Amino acid sequence: MTEDFTGSRILLVEDEESLAVGLEYNLIEEGYIVNWANNGREAIDLFEKEKFDLIILDIMLPYVNGFEVAERVRKSDPQIPILMLTAKTESGDKVKGLEKGADDYMTKPFHLQELLLRVKGMLKRKSWYTSTSQKQPVYKFGKNEINFKTLNCLHGNEKIRLTPQEAMLLKYLVEHKEEIVTRKELLENVWHLNPEVETRTVDIFIARLRKYFEPDPTSPVYFKSIRGAGYTFEVK
Amino acid sequence: MRGKHSLFYHILIFIIAQLVWLLLLGIWIYWYVSNYIVFEKVGDQVSPQLIYDVQNALPFILGLILLIGLSFTTSLIFRHLNVQLRITELYDNFIGNVTHELKSPLASIQLYLETLKQREVPPEKRKEFIDFMMKDADRLQSLINSILEISAQEQKKLLQNYQVYNTYSLVKELIEESCEKFRVAKDSYQIKGEALCEIVASKDALKIVFDNLVDNAVKYSTQQAKIITSVICNSKKVTILFTDLGIGIVANEQKKIFNKFYRIYNKEIPNVKGTGLGLYRVREIVKAHGGKITVLSEGESKGTTFKIEIPAYKALSQRRLKKLLKNE
Repeated sequence: MTEDFTGSRILLVEDEESLAVGLEYNLIEEGYIVNWANNGREAIDLFEKEKFDLIILDIMLPYVNGFEVAERVRKSDPQIPILMLTAKTESGDKVKGLEKGADDYMTKPFHLQELLLRVKGMLKRKSWYTSTSQKQPVYKFGKNEINFKTLNCLHGNEKIRLTPQEAMLLKYLVEHKEEIVTRKELLENVWHLNPEVETRTVDIFIARLRKYFEPDPTSPVYFKSIRGAGYTFEVK
Repeated sequence: MRGKHSLFYHILIFIIAQLVWLLLLGIWIYWYVSNYIVFEKVGDQVSPQLIYDVQNALPFILGLILLIGLSFTTSLIFRHLNVQLRITELYDNFIGNVTHELKSPLASIQLYLETLKQREVPPEKRKEFIDFMMKDADRLQSLINSILEISAQEQKKLLQNYQVYNTYSLVKELIEESCEKFRVAKDSYQIKGEALCEIVASKDALKIVFDNLVDNAVKYSTQQAKIITSVICNSKKVTILFTDLGIGIVANEQKKIFNKFYRIYNKEIPNVKGTGLGLYRVREIVKAHGGKITVLSEGESKGTTFKIEIPAYKALSQRRLKKLLKNE
C-alpha cells in the first residue's frame, strides 16, 4: 500500500526568511499544509492553538531556542515527530537535540531531496504507529504494562515514560513477537533507514528497553539477542 | 567550563614555579652569605691584607637584579598567557558564530538552486527565489568582508576615499539606507540635527558604521526597533547621537562591547546572531576619522545611545586635511 501523506500539517519553525520561504514552497508542492513560525515564542503559540503532524525546528531562534521548543512540545505531545534543522554541527548539539525530544537531526546546508524523504519517513512512521496503537493501546507482558498512546508504562509499581523512538521500537518488536528481527530490519522500519543512525543505535535502544522491562537486564528473558542475526521478543 | 579549569591549572603551575624559584633564591642567598662569612673569618687569618668590600658585594647585587628580572619576566609571561587564553576562548566562540552565519545563507542558496533544478517553478516565483539568492549572496559577501577586513591594511583601503560632507545630509542618507536594508519602518526612526556643519569622512566606511548600529538596534530590540539620531555641531567637533530603545547594556559590559569578538548575552533575547566583529570595526573606523565612540545606557531594558564624536572640517589642521584628502 502506498500511503498518501498529502494534507499533513507541518509546523515550520525557522527564523531565516529566505530559507523558510524556500522550504515552505517545497513542502506545499509536496502537498503538505505548512504554517511558518519565525521565532520560538510564535512556534509554541501556534503549536498550542493548532494541530500538527510534524515539526521542522531550527535551533538558533529568537526568544525561545529550538531545544526549549522541543521540550515544551514533548510535554504535551509525546508522539509528534520533530525534525531538527540547524547550522550547528557540534555533536554535543545533536545529542542534546535528540535528548530534548527531536526524532531526527539535519545540518545546514542540506539536500532538498533528503529533507523531503526524511519528512515523509517520519510521517510514515507516525501514521503506522498511530494506526497500530489505536487498535490496541495497552499491552501487557510479565510484570509490565505499556500504554502506546500515552507512552506511560508500569514495571511492577515503577512508572516509566518512554520516548517516542523507544515506543516505536517496542511496538515493532511486539508486533513481530517470537520472530527474529535483524538490526537492518529495525533500522529500515523503525528508523526508516536514517543514514546517520548506525547499528549501534539499535543496540543502545534495546539496552534501554531491557533496563526498563527486564527483571534482570543482564540476563534478559524478553528481549533476547540472537548471535549474528539480531533480536527477538519472547513472552512465555 | 573547560576554560576555567585550564586557567586554574595555569595559575597552579605559576604559583609552583614561583615557589620553586623563591626557594632557589633562598638557597643562593644562604650559600652566598655563609661563604662570605667563612671567607671573612678564614681570609683574615690566612691573608689579612686581602680587600673584599665592594668587589665581593657586586656578584650578590648582580644576582639579586637577575632574580628580580626573572621574577618580573615570569609575571609578564604569565600575563600574556592569560590574555592569550582569553583570546583563544573568544576566538572559539567567534568560529562557532561565523560557521552559523556562513551556513545559513549557503543553505538557503543551495535550497533554491535544488528547487529550481528539480521543479517547474512559475516565473514570478522564480524571480522571488533569485532575489532571495542574491540577498543571501550579499550577506555572505559582507560577512566574508568583515572577517577579512579586520586586517589593518584592508581597513586602510576602505578608508581611502575621504571627502568633505555636510554631516546632516550624510547621516540622513546613510541612516535611511541602513533602515531600509534592515527593515526598520519609516515611522520608527527619526533624524534630528543642524545642517550647517561639515566633516571629512569616508562614506563607504561610515556606511559600515551605521549598518552595524542599525542592525544591532534591530537585533537587540524585543519589539519593532525605534531609532533616534541627532547631529549636534560646535566649532570643534560634530557629535552624532544614535539612540535605540532596545534592551540596553549593563554598565560592566559597556566597555567590552567594542572588543574584538565580544558579544553580550541577554536572557530576554537569546540566540542573537552575529560575529562579535561589528562594533570592533565601528570603533576602528571612527578612530580612523580622528574621532571616538562611546556608549551610554542606563542599564537593562533602558535603551542604548552611541555617541560618535568626529572633528569638524573647520577644526582640522591643514596637515591632517592634506593627509586625508590626498587620494581625491
